[in-house]
Amino acid sequence: MSDSNSTGHSSLSPPPPGSRRSPSPGGTSVSTQIALRNMRRLEARRNMEENHYLTQKARNCNLNPPVDLRALDYVSKYDDNLVCPICRCPLVDPVLLMDCDHCFCRECIRQTWTTYSPLGPKGDCPTCRMPAKLGPRASTSKILVNILDDLVVKCPKSENGCKSEIKRGEVQDHITIYCGYAMVECKDSGCGQSVRRKDYDLGCLHYNVSCESCQQNMPKAELETHWQLQCPDRQVKCDLCSSLIYYRDREEHRKEACPAVNVPCPGAPLGCTNKSRRAHLDIHVKGCVLAKLGPVLDAQKQRMDEQESAHKLINRKLEILETGFTAMQDILSANRSGPPDNGSTETLIVPSRSRAESTATDSTRIASADDYDFPVPPSNRGSAIEPESPPTTNTTRSSTTPRTTATPRSLTSPPLRPAPQAPFPRPTDLPPPTTTDFDLASPFSTTAPGADGPYSSPLHHLLSMHESLRDEMARVSAALTELDGRHSMQILNENLRTRDEIAYLGGQVAGMGRQVHWLTSAQLQRQTPGGSAAAREVGTGASAGGGGAGGSVEGAVNAMSTAATALRGAARVVNVGGGQGSPTSPGMRRGVSEEGRTKL
Amino acid sequence: MSAPLPKRIIKETERLQNEPVPGISAEPHEENARYFDVWVDGPDGSCYEGGKFNLELFLPDDYPMCPPRIRFLTRIYHPNIDRLGRICLDVLKNNWSPALQIRTILLSIQALLGAPNPEDPLNEAVAKQWKENQPEAIKTAREWTQLYAQKK
Repeated sequence: MSDSNSTGHSSLSPPPPGSRRSPSPGGTSVSTQIALRNMRRLEARRNMEENHYLTQKARNCNLNPPVDLRALDYVSKYDDNLVCPICRCPLVDPVLLMDCDHCFCRECIRQTWTTYSPLGPKGDCPTCRMPAKLGPRASTSKILVNILDDLVVKCPKSENGCKSEIKRGEVQDHITIYCGYAMVECKDSGCGQSVRRKDYDLGCLHYNVSCESCQQNMPKAELETHWQLQCPDRQVKCDLCSSLIYYRDREEHRKEACPAVNVPCPGAPLGCTNKSRRAHLDIHVKGCVLAKLGPVLDAQKQRMDEQESAHKLINRKLEILETGFTAMQDILSANRSGPPDNGSTETLIVPSRSRAESTATDSTRIASADDYDFPVPPSNRGSAIEPESPPTTNTTRSSTTPRTTATPRSLTSPPLRPAPQAPFPRPTDLPPPTTTDFDLASPFSTTAPGADGPYSSPLHHLLSMHESLRDEMARVSAALTELDGRHSMQILNENLRTRDEIAYLGGQVAGMGRQVHWLTSAQLQRQTPGGSAAAREVGTGASAGGGGAGGSVEGAVNAMSTAATALRGAARVVNVGGGQGSPTSPGMRRGVSEEGRTKL
Repeated sequence: MSAPLPKRIIKETERLQNEPVPGISAEPHEENARYFDVWVDGPDGSCYEGGKFNLELFLPDDYPMCPPRIRFLTRIYHPNIDRLGRICLDVLKNNWSPALQIRTILLSIQALLGAPNPEDPLNEAVAKQWKENQPEAIKTAREWTQLYAQKK
């Protein structure tokens, strides 16, 4: 376009300088002054015409900007020697540098030199660095220009739909004169808008319509362009793989399907840095170890995750089991610390026997017994005992427990059990009762923090513990039943003896009572007036029997009272010893005392 | 960035991808086609042999009227390359010519690795060492290449 612009100038501008030059030689005479005025008028008119032409041209340029020959798509192949070293396109308006004869586009070399030496059209040759300048006849020979102009290019409006392919030299004319897709002014002069040349005859097309596929509103004149360039539902060619795709899907196509896009190797997360076109990815993948490993490692990772979650689950289960286990230990230790007071279980329960002996030897014995009986649990489940020193805690613990249990025994006689310790757990009702009193003596918690147990898994250990505890329980219950039997037998034997004694005493008392009765009745007979003779007889009989009658009665009464007190004491003893062992004694005693009182 | 990419840059990029120079790779960034990620192999027979050096290359708006901006990203022990990776090379400065291209510039840089020029230093300390004790300097350069220029 710049060419045509300059030619336009050259066709119009020469006259004004000429007109300016003509008046200067002879400016004195009147005729010349008139001529000068005419000349000026002419000049003004020409200026006006020129302005009009230029505005027209500018409008035309705005509608169809001058074609940039470097941006064209070349259809015909061209020799590398026809390429400008600067713009890398087939030369446009080629010039030869003086001296070195290197060839460049005029615009390229001008730009280079103004960038590097603002002094003017000279500088170094960009190719050979020789000082160079443009000669007066810099343009290359016509033959080179012809070759360049004969290169076939696509119409710059090919994007809009023009399918023509033309020689490069004719592109500008094609656009300004022929191309149906170049813009011209609307036929309706009042409209002032532009329309494509091929639509010019259709009249003004600047009314609104809506696109059929995307429903967007636009002037009719732009509808076709919209279909071709803007409508999201149009079909476009992918730049890279040149397959037809919908514009709407182009991003997706790039990401997912386009075979020409460079995509990273699937093994990229593992460190493969290779990037190859999607179409060639298979070839790379076949050889890439990392890409092959990818799925395997993914599967492994997934499995690891699964295992980890399973592991967590198992850990939680173990925790629950351990807390249950400690609860069991507490209960069982309470049951276990009960029996030691009983001397009769010696033969059956080893640790309890050791506890039943003297408190001094107790501690060490228990510790050893516990260690022997129960393999240590592997983990100390958060009890307050330090795991480092099991023996010390053991001794303190066990030394306290036997003492509490031993003290009542030392106060009372061995066969008589102290009352507060009566509630022994029956073998049938194992778990809850009376546990808190004996918590301190828990042998499990003391032995717990030891060396590692012989059991590989906590569950096995738990089961074995459970078994041993069950055995222990069985032994304890057997011992308890035996003890119970022995105890009741002992009590029975004791009661029998006292009952015999009481019966004997009762007989004696009864004899004495009869004697007293006889004596009192004899005295009463003597005191009555009617029977003085009889009384006298009795009195004589009594005196004859020896001593005064009154004295003998008093002695008998005294003997009776002492016998009654002795009886009372015996009954009390039986009461205390047997409880219900002598049901007869209180009645008897009362009977005796009543007898005595009424007799007295 | 609103201006369309000049034909020359498009053509150069295409050619770099389709006919790459042996030992040199230049990939344009997806977001900015004027920014290239460059890998240059240390030239055979030099103390940088076996190293893979990463550079960044940016084509300014004036390109090809002004030179591209190039910088080493990989650390390198070289008298003409400073600690920030800037390169002292005449064709990148005064001697730039629009007839030069990305590939020729990268070849020049590769050549610079093969022929360090301590007389025109950018890194004074390295240049001094290079002049005074060249075997030691070469040894250091080898070590640095082993240390930093092994592409993962």
